[in-house]
Amino acid sequence: MRQPLALSQTQLTSTLSVILAALFLLSLFLGSNPIPLFQAVRDTLLDTPSVIALIFSEVRLPRALIALFTGATLGLCGAAMQGLLRNPLASPGLIGSASGAALGAVCMLYFGMSAVTTMALPAGGMIGALAATLLVYLLAGRDAGSLTLILAGVAINALALALISLLLNLAPSPYAVREIVLWMMGSIANHSMSDLQIMLPGILLGWFLLIGTGRSLDALTLGEETASTMGISLPRLRWRIFIAIALAVGSAISITGSIGFIGLVVPHLLRPLVNHQPSRLLLASALGGAILLLAADICIRLFPAGTDIKVGVLTSLVGAPFFLYLIIKSRRFVL
Amino acid sequence: MSKQLITALLLLICSLSSQSAEQPVRVVSINLCTDQLLLMLADRTQIASISYLAVESNSSFMAEEARQYPVNHEKIEELLSLKPDLILASEYSNRALIQLMQKLGHQIEIFPLPSDIKGIQANISRMARLLKQKERGQQLIKQMNQRINKIIQQQPTVRPKALFYQPNHYTSGRNTLQDTALQLAGWRNLATELGIEGYNPINIEDLLMADPEQLFTSPYAPGSHSLAEHQLSHPALQRVTAGKKMVEIDYKYWICGGPMIADAIEQLHRGLPQ
Repeated sequence: MRQPLALSQTQLTSTLSVILAALFLLSLFLGSNPIPLFQAVRDTLLDTPSVIALIFSEVRLPRALIALFTGATLGLCGAAMQGLLRNPLASPGLIGSASGAALGAVCMLYFGMSAVTTMALPAGGMIGALAATLLVYLLAGRDAGSLTLILAGVAINALALALISLLLNLAPSPYAVREIVLWMMGSIANHSMSDLQIMLPGILLGWFLLIGTGRSLDALTLGEETASTMGISLPRLRWRIFIAIALAVGSAISITGSIGFIGLVVPHLLRPLVNHQPSRLLLASALGGAILLLAADICIRLFPAGTDIKVGVLTSLVGAPFFLYLIIKSRRFVL
Repeated sequence: MSKQLITALLLLICSLSSQSAEQPVRVVSINLCTDQLLLMLADRTQIASISYLAVESNSSFMAEEARQYPVNHEKIEELLSLKPDLILASEYSNRALIQLMQKLGHQIEIFPLPSDIKGIQANISRMARLLKQKERGQQLIKQMNQRINKIIQQQPTVRPKALFYQPNHYTSGRNTLQDTALQLAGWRNLATELGIEGYNPINIEDLLMADPEQLFTSPYAPGSHSLAEHQLSHPALQRVTAGKKMVEIDYKYWICGGPMIADAIEQLHRGLPQ
């Protein structure tokens, strides 16, 4: 039945890339002031760049790039996690990696560590993400059913959230408490190129580690035993993916705050198009995640000026009903 | 004509009554802004208590002087036990507390928060009148006016463009002390020119489009870290002002309108390009 939907890998990749490129450009065009974009791009090459060049290179470009890299990371990690745990509900948001990363970043930022060295921020995110992911994995146990995994995720998410609130209440900065919502919902507005530079090394390293796990994930669909007879070391694969997720999600979330549901929704939407093949799903989900986050960020900018809606609010508004749909679907399946 | 006559008569009555009445000896201030004026104008023996904020050096201009007086936390029990002759509050003080103290027969004077020099002068003379320290009040106003007038005479003919930028993208537009001070020091306030009223956020693209030559900020809690404060280190802000660093002017000059505005204006004036 689903066969006709599947596209060839090149077809799918090029279609997604075109959509992504179009959204990326659109994101650069949108702002509170209409600026002649082509002139702005040309002006960035001048010795003393003009104001419009500054708006382009220091405000709009970092925003679009951060949306692209964060979205791609969340989509990719969601696909890898669902493949590894063979669980349709696994994703960085639901099993605690994202809130763990936010907690780690909060520890570093508000207590002055990231002022000492900027890399403390992504490092905190990575440690938090890894700790939360491992904790959920250990709590749920190997071969956990969807329900157990989700419950363990709920518990760790709640704990991380409570600790974030506590830390922000204790932080010396008078602005800290108001920023709880930023860490809970995530925002990609008002970041600079230096923020992108901070998140990029971890993200690229994580992506690099995930390249090449596709074949193992494909083998894993046949079951753990079959996979190990094919020469795949499952513990090694597990660690590789967990560390990759910690590196990439930890770095991204430490800058943007926890943006929900992208890692859950995107792999599901794309799975039929790649013929349910985890190896093909990885690249497609990365592109799809970037598309979804860029689109969400464009949408929130279309609201009237002054309404400062966080991008995570929109992704959650779309993602939460989808999550419910997945639960209902899986329940029907069980019954 | 008749209006002037009435004002003159009122003033006469005021001065007569103030001369006949005794100086208040147990003055309690429950607000940072009235604390500072009280500390500047009153005799030591007149001050019964000041608010706890008066000793915090980030917000209080008079923190050093304030340490020798007992502090209160704007609580009714504290105020009653102090047996005040006069209670000083601001328009943002706890309403319920003020009404209760009035009901109990205490004299409470509520001071507005000024956003210009006239308002500051009015607050000083009113405080001096209440404390029966008229001469000190006049002296304080005279000193402040002299310092400000000196700066006004040195204003540049072409005013450079400036803007206040605070954590969370806040800026100071029309009807703020910062606007008054910027203009007196010889700057154009871009926030006012962009039509921003009061203390409100400004979009970073709008800020860059306005092309400021200098940015000012007032750290509320210097040395603390948050995303809001991280915004101030956005590289575009330094690049738009051609590498010029944001100038910090302490928060204690702005939080209340007072004669310390002259210090702030002098600091803003020193920031002008040579």
